[in-house]
Amino acid sequence: MAKKGISKLSVMDFIKAVPKREKIISKASTNSLPSADSYKPNQIANALHPEKQFLRVSKIVEHSCDIKTFYLVPDAEKGTEKLAWFSAGQYLSINLTVGNATITRPYSISSSPRESLDGYYMLTIKRVKDGLASQYILDNWTVGTEVTASAPLGTFTYEPLRDAKTIIGIAGGSGITPFRSLAKAISDSDEDVSLTLLYGTRNLEEAIFQDEFVEIAKKCDKFRLVNVLSEENNESCESGFITAELINKYKPDGLYSIFMCGPQAMYDFVDKEIESLSLRRKFIRHELFGEFFNPSKEPDYPENVSSQFNITVSFNGTKQTVTADADTSILRTLEANGISVPAHCRSGECGWCHSKLISGEIYTPKSIDGRREADLLYGYIHPCCSFPLSDIEIQIHPTK
Amino acid sequence: MNNKFDVIVVGAGNGGLMAAATTAKEGLKTLLLEKHNLPGGCATSFRRGRFEFEPSLHELCSVGTKENPSQIYKLFDDLGVKINWEYEDKVFRTIVKGDDGYDVTLKAGIENFIKSIDDAVPGSEKSVREFLGLNKKIRAALDYLASVKGVPNVFKILTQHSDFLRVASHSVEEVMDSLSMPKKAQNIINTYWGYLGVPTDELNAMHFLSMIHSYIVEGAAMPHHRSHELSVALVDIFEKFGGQIKYNSEVTKFLYTEDGRVIGVVANGEEFFADEVISNVIPDNVFNMSDETKIPKRQMKLANAREFGISVATIYVGLDCTAEELGIEDYTIFIQNNADPRTQYNTRKTEGFYIVNCLNNTIPDSSPDGTCTLFFTLPIFGSDLPEDLTPQGYKKYKNDLAEKFIKDCEEVLNISIIPHIEEISVATPVTFARYLGTPEGTIYGYKNSGWDNVVLRTTFEALDYKIPGLSFCGGHYTNGDGYSSAYTVGSIVAKRVVERLKGGNA
Repeated sequence: MAKKGISKLSVMDFIKAVPKREKIISKASTNSLPSADSYKPNQIANALHPEKQFLRVSKIVEHSCDIKTFYLVPDAEKGTEKLAWFSAGQYLSINLTVGNATITRPYSISSSPRESLDGYYMLTIKRVKDGLASQYILDNWTVGTEVTASAPLGTFTYEPLRDAKTIIGIAGGSGITPFRSLAKAISDSDEDVSLTLLYGTRNLEEAIFQDEFVEIAKKCDKFRLVNVLSEENNESCESGFITAELINKYKPDGLYSIFMCGPQAMYDFVDKEIESLSLRRKFIRHELFGEFFNPSKEPDYPENVSSQFNITVSFNGTKQTVTADADTSILRTLEANGISVPAHCRSGECGWCHSKLISGEIYTPKSIDGRREADLLYGYIHPCCSFPLSDIEIQIHPTK
Repeated sequence: MNNKFDVIVVGAGNGGLMAAATTAKEGLKTLLLEKHNLPGGCATSFRRGRFEFEPSLHELCSVGTKENPSQIYKLFDDLGVKINWEYEDKVFRTIVKGDDGYDVTLKAGIENFIKSIDDAVPGSEKSVREFLGLNKKIRAALDYLASVKGVPNVFKILTQHSDFLRVASHSVEEVMDSLSMPKKAQNIINTYWGYLGVPTDELNAMHFLSMIHSYIVEGAAMPHHRSHELSVALVDIFEKFGGQIKYNSEVTKFLYTEDGRVIGVVANGEEFFADEVISNVIPDNVFNMSDETKIPKRQMKLANAREFGISVATIYVGLDCTAEELGIEDYTIFIQNNADPRTQYNTRKTEGFYIVNCLNNTIPDSSPDGTCTLFFTLPIFGSDLPEDLTPQGYKKYKNDLAEKFIKDCEEVLNISIIPHIEEISVATPVTFARYLGTPEGTIYGYKNSGWDNVVLRTTFEALDYKIPGLSFCGGHYTNGDGYSSAYTVGSIVAKRVVERLKGGNA
């Protein structure tokens, strides 16, 4: 009689499977296994995201206003053969030791992705009054200086499925750096988007990369430069500040995205201006806000906070207590005390400094709070944008 | 000695976290080493703008509720971990394009499930019921095997548990065919092959049945705050039990004694020693960090014989409209070009098979008011990447891939996604290679192929893993991939370690 249902299947297949498996294994090689790095996805991952890039300064160009462009080339002797490819708008996080402090700083790459194939990145850095890192770099980096950088990072990049086909770039001062990269990437056909750049400076002399931008605009019809001068009248330029009216004058007929990079004062001004344009949120992009100062000026900052606290930090199995100012980020306080904390964006966004707050209270400004929901449940903070409200204890996991 | 522990766990993925929390709970001095600055491996979350995306989890099976806890609920509960579980009452919606296609939504609960298939394929009720009924026989056989500690009476197994042997040694489709289940009903149920990465003409029937049965009976569960909640909750309890976690600490070497016992590891140039090491890292990578002469020949052969499991490409979009405005009501939608799983698998690079999840339909506040997120999953192998893909071409590759699948989804569901994209991120096997460090960016460890399916892996466990002092856990281990499997195996392996170190009934 024919078997029915599952009885049709052999019971003995299970028994047979055992020697079959053994046979397959016994026939296999005992050779070494290929390393994970020999597979294509791993190779691309390693090329795009090296843990660190060891670089050397190969050339320095001085601009006006105490701004310098540093050309950085790979340092093969230290293990970096090739620079990581990137998207225009990304930054490098640079490690620096300044006196007792071990710090990091994010700088937008001003060179284009294609220039990295020629073997260099460009970082264009302006001297910031009281700026620990920029002062150090401008005063100390010379040709040959060794620089340790991260892989290219950040999301201030053109995304074709998200952004409009025309970008109105708004740059203030040294906020021009990512736009040099983007303009060149467009003229190199590495990005398929149009860029109208509203470049705000006090006068034309301050406008760095001016000649290059003019050149790019000449040969690439997807790039247009509009200098906006606040303290000079020039026939070929706009005068004043970057207003909604000015954006309206240069905007395309259809949709456009606004990409902004500049000082906080520019964001404050332009953000207010563009409110009247009724743009959807997706069409407004800011570069990293950068370090946050003066948290006590925020409307939701608690009252009656003391001005100084103790921070006890556990790292590498040791504990250390340092004194902290209430209006200095925890990251900066630790760095100033020679404690090396993993950090990249320093703007609350990247999460690289994600750390456990063991005890105490902190304040994080809402506008730059990049924590995950479960971080709030379990007491994790981003020290780069957290300010102590009491004595606190924190756990740090240094990188090697 | 400061660097001497009872147990070292390498890798804080799901398996490693569960293993470490388990040994720490039992009072063993445990060190957990993680190469990233966050725990969880794939079980994490990431922020873009105002969105926090779930990177990998679709849903966990075998969770259950407080009133009716199943395995995973109990694992977390036993450790004292409270998770904000959310539940999905539909199993999935599956859409096959084309004239002979279908659009079927399957509900959770055995009777609902059977009815929704019978509605779509009249006359399939009996065979579907029989198929799901086999799960009971599997449970009975597994209970028997557990009661005899894996040393069964062969006669008893052959006579009393013969259907178990049949299910455990045949593919899903062989078993369904034997039950004369209509092909269309098979195809609808077998939509789920994508979660295991092996098409159902090859996938072990017992493995598949255990998983789907759990989803149907217990429903699917997920943490309220993305997978990051699961991972930080486990770290939290691990630390409360006295465990020590070191982030940014990639293990680069496994240390052995002369006679081949693992006694420790090197991380960040520092040596750490332990009586037992549990590796959440795939054996291929562990062996490459070991003195090869210490690896038993059979284990090298096994690693060489194995194929890597599937990886995925994933597309995460944050939209500036609600799920309702978008026109998506379901949490999980499978979209396919063809009803046959093997064909879906073979056409995986050309929209043959993909999953769309809208988390807001299960957890409405998982993104800000007025917004929603979509999460696309496309099963592809690391070796499916184009031959000529370069780092320079990678951004375009990702964008083209995303555009192709999103447009396909727009067309199939007759909705408009692209104009609403406020944030987008695309991951591929390159991304998983970056974050997991696995060869080819595999997320599932080894392929659950015919000869290396979970049943045979479990049967051969003692023979397959023979390095003293070293245990493995994770998707590459016996129970295969998936959050629930990884947690379960992490717990099992850790309890054995506890038993060896403490003796008695741990």
